Amino acid sequence: MKDDKPPTGRWKKILLIFLVLFAGVGFVGWYKLFREENEPAFANGTERFKYGSITAENNSGLPYWVWLVLPRIFPEYLPGSGGYRSLGIVWEEGHEMPVGFTKKVVGFPRVANNCAVCHAASYRTKPDEIPTVIAAGPNHTSNIQAMLRFLTRCAQDPRFNSKDIMAEINQVTKLSWLDKILYKYLIIPRTRKALLKRNQQLAWMNRPNWPEWGPGRDDPMNLTKYFLTSLPIDDSTGQADMPSIWNLKIREGTELNWDGATPAVRSVLIDSGLGLGSEHNAKFLAQIDWLEAFLKDLSPPKYPLPVDEKLAAKGKPIYDATCASCHEAGPNGQMGKVVDISKIGTDRNRLDTWTQQAADLANSTVEKLGIRRIGLQKTSGYVPPPMDGIWLRAPYLHNGSVPNMHDLLEPAERRTKIFYRGYDVYDPVNMGFDSKSEEAKLIGWRLDTSERGNGNQGHIYGTNLPVGEKAALIEYLKTR
Amino acid sequence: MRETGIARSSIQPQHKRWLWLIAKIAVALVVVFAVYLFFRLTRDQTVVYRDDGDHFKYGSTGGERASGIPYSIFKAMPTLFPEYLPGKGYQSLGFLYEEGKDLPIGMSRRNFRGVDVVFFNCAICHVGSVRETPHSKPRYIVGMPSNTVNLRGYYEFLFNCAQNQKFTPDRLLLETNHVAVGEDFLNRMIFRYYAVYLIRERLLMLRQRLGFILDEPEFGPGRIDTFSPAKAYFNFRMDKAPDTEKFGVVDLPSIWYQGQRADRRILLHWDGNNISLDERNLSAAFGTGVTPPTLDRASLTRTAEYLKKLSAPPYPFKIDQQRAANGAPIYKEYCADCHGASGRDFSGALVGHVTPIEQIGTDRNRLDNYTFDLAVNQSTMYSGYAWRFSHFRKTFGYVNMPLDGVWARAPFLHNGSVPTLRALLEPSTKRPAVFYRGDDVYDQANVGFESNVAERDGHKFFKLDTTLRANGNWGHEGEAYGTKLTPDEKDALVEYLKTF
Repeated sequence: MKDDKPPTGRWKKILLIFLVLFAGVGFVGWYKLFREENEPAFANGTERFKYGSITAENNSGLPYWVWLVLPRIFPEYLPGSGGYRSLGIVWEEGHEMPVGFTKKVVGFPRVANNCAVCHAASYRTKPDEIPTVIAAGPNHTSNIQAMLRFLTRCAQDPRFNSKDIMAEINQVTKLSWLDKILYKYLIIPRTRKALLKRNQQLAWMNRPNWPEWGPGRDDPMNLTKYFLTSLPIDDSTGQADMPSIWNLKIREGTELNWDGATPAVRSVLIDSGLGLGSEHNAKFLAQIDWLEAFLKDLSPPKYPLPVDEKLAAKGKPIYDATCASCHEAGPNGQMGKVVDISKIGTDRNRLDTWTQQAADLANSTVEKLGIRRIGLQKTSGYVPPPMDGIWLRAPYLHNGSVPNMHDLLEPAERRTKIFYRGYDVYDPVNMGFDSKSEEAKLIGWRLDTSERGNGNQGHIYGTNLPVGEKAALIEYLKTR
Repeated sequence: MRETGIARSSIQPQHKRWLWLIAKIAVALVVVFAVYLFFRLTRDQTVVYRDDGDHFKYGSTGGERASGIPYSIFKAMPTLFPEYLPGKGYQSLGFLYEEGKDLPIGMSRRNFRGVDVVFFNCAICHVGSVRETPHSKPRYIVGMPSNTVNLRGYYEFLFNCAQNQKFTPDRLLLETNHVAVGEDFLNRMIFRYYAVYLIRERLLMLRQRLGFILDEPEFGPGRIDTFSPAKAYFNFRMDKAPDTEKFGVVDLPSIWYQGQRADRRILLHWDGNNISLDERNLSAAFGTGVTPPTLDRASLTRTAEYLKKLSAPPYPFKIDQQRAANGAPIYKEYCADCHGASGRDFSGALVGHVTPIEQIGTDRNRLDNYTFDLAVNQSTMYSGYAWRFSHFRKTFGYVNMPLDGVWARAPFLHNGSVPTLRALLEPSTKRPAVFYRGDDVYDQANVGFESNVAERDGHKFFKLDTTLRANGNWGHEGEAYGTKLTPDEKDALVEYLKTF
């Protein structure tokens, strides 16, 4: 009996040592892989909007160093020269990260996206000029689909392995031996696995002969559908133009998304954030609160080129007579309320991507996450949006199938059938972006309006106006 | 069990002691050798110079760590591959050797992992040579743009060597035997089984990444393409790049009075794409073979401090003071606003500012070579370090440079397309359409280097054809630029500029 005591004591000691070791390893593991560091403070709200985390780094963040070197290892999977810039993403001089890309330490530095990746617009008033970036403007240059394909193609390449990627990382930084081991055996293989999984999740958009999004567009409700529900892949395609999200106070109480599928600003923010991989936690909801407040009061940008004030004044009554009933709010105003597809007559593919069943299932998924919000719905048409900052919102219609305002005021058969999206030099004459010069062809992406989902018909309002009145109307719209 | 017992017991106790001793010695030897190997293979030691000037000429930026070529192989290559050099030794590529030195100016040496390796530093491009006559001794001027070194020629030499069948351990090791400082047994083993293949692989990879630059017309001595290598560093897909951005040759610049340039916020690089002296230095360091983790930051800082105060050399020949005095008011009227009050005082309303390309009218290839896409990508350079780049900007013209030591900065314009100052004061139609670069014999009448001689003492000069792309010699001309002055006024102005 006496002899039993010392062994128990020894066991206790050994157990204690193990516990301490275990806790030590656990702490290092937590520190190196999961500890969250706060981002440095942002100078102002615009900076925070452009570069601030929406808590997507943990779920869908790429390791910063891997993100940085991928374009150098796999340039052949990019559409052109210039690294990530070849995807048309907006990038301000002097900034380490492009607009809409966040860098945050969650164990190790990770890169994720925020709202600005789709909602920051760039424009130039002439080719020899640094682009001006407008936060919350509709992005019309970034090819999000090409970016997704780039990343997933990298992951499928046999050179996406620890040895080759570490060789390139060693060219740009010196990692500690522990970080090297973690990258080699954990972080890089896990990243590859996650990207391959993402590739499977995106199989629906990679079907052969399937309409491409091109720059400044995505397929929002199919993304929502396949992300939030387990519905089988269907035959619908709904490529849609990125919208502006400034000045949201005038949208409160209206129906949002092109078809009005979301009847509340906050719901759009939450669903979009979840789509980017945000975690449902207090930080995320706090960021949503901030975004809501920031975007409500953010003014649309003023038209940067000279306006013929006299002509614009002539355009005002034409606008009031021709456009205001749908695009202005008010007791009888139709702004923000669905107009039936039979009436508006624009391409219906985007509308048909969304169903009542999808809305119900998506709502229940979000509810199960414990988030309370006004739910998604199914509608029968498209919503006339307000005209704030309309000069920067080209190309027009929900699918971005009409390059400029001049064309939108022409009957469908006279609208441009093939043009180039994604070039950011402004065309003040036609009110839109240059979509047909040689440079536009070189940089831009060819949009063919005869492809499914790209139809440029419908919205025939104002197309019968005399030429002079159209010019006045356009001049007036520049002031909005 | 039993047999071992028998075997063990059969060894006598005194033998046992001996065996123990031998075993101990063996273990001790192994340990000593392992310690030796550890220190040898983690060695990272460069030659340290007391004098800042020597440090500038021969000190290391850290470039050898990533890009170094073993000293013995560097020495052996010209003998093994003479067919890839224009003449005898590296001198034929315009490398400058000081008396008693066995490496050229601009080459540093470091023992890295037990091997002596060499690579460039800043001085390879920023030390020039001047001679009064073909028979006088050259003087080497620190901070002057190199007028002789053919860097592209050097890279092509390396690439050609690497592709040659003779680039094998056997042939190279045989040749290194003739080098004064050969390699020891261990290094020979490393070379034989590893290093030579590694060097070849690295050179061939570099050739593949830089390949698109070789599509440009020959640069000749004293010129390089500054920013295309940055695109190669990012591995941009140059096959898809617009044609307009593919040619970026420039003349090497002087680097005197860097402190005054920084104080006056003079934009740096020909197109003024950066305002930060530190970033300009860090960016240029890439040209000396460094990668962010291999940079020797302290060494570069020492060089940077040295250059802040480095002054331009006075004109070493006779100046006609009377004539120069006549030129002073002309300079003040025509040049000072853009180019500064004098060669020492860079004050002036437009000094260091960008003049739009439409206005200056010079060859725009270099301007277009530097793109907005490159500028934003450069913001990721030195990421993770306190000195990450954040000042690169796309511009739309060329910078008005101060004219300190302008006499030593020929040929002129950003692309070195005009041989002399006197020629620059002529309208472009009257500037030489074809001339020779690379001579260091001075042309006192026209202020520049001899440019009409094709060959001297077996050294062939480079024929610059201004009709080739990116070599255009137009622009910087018209009434405001002095090309309509009378010949006498032009002569006076040129004489005055000798005092800068």
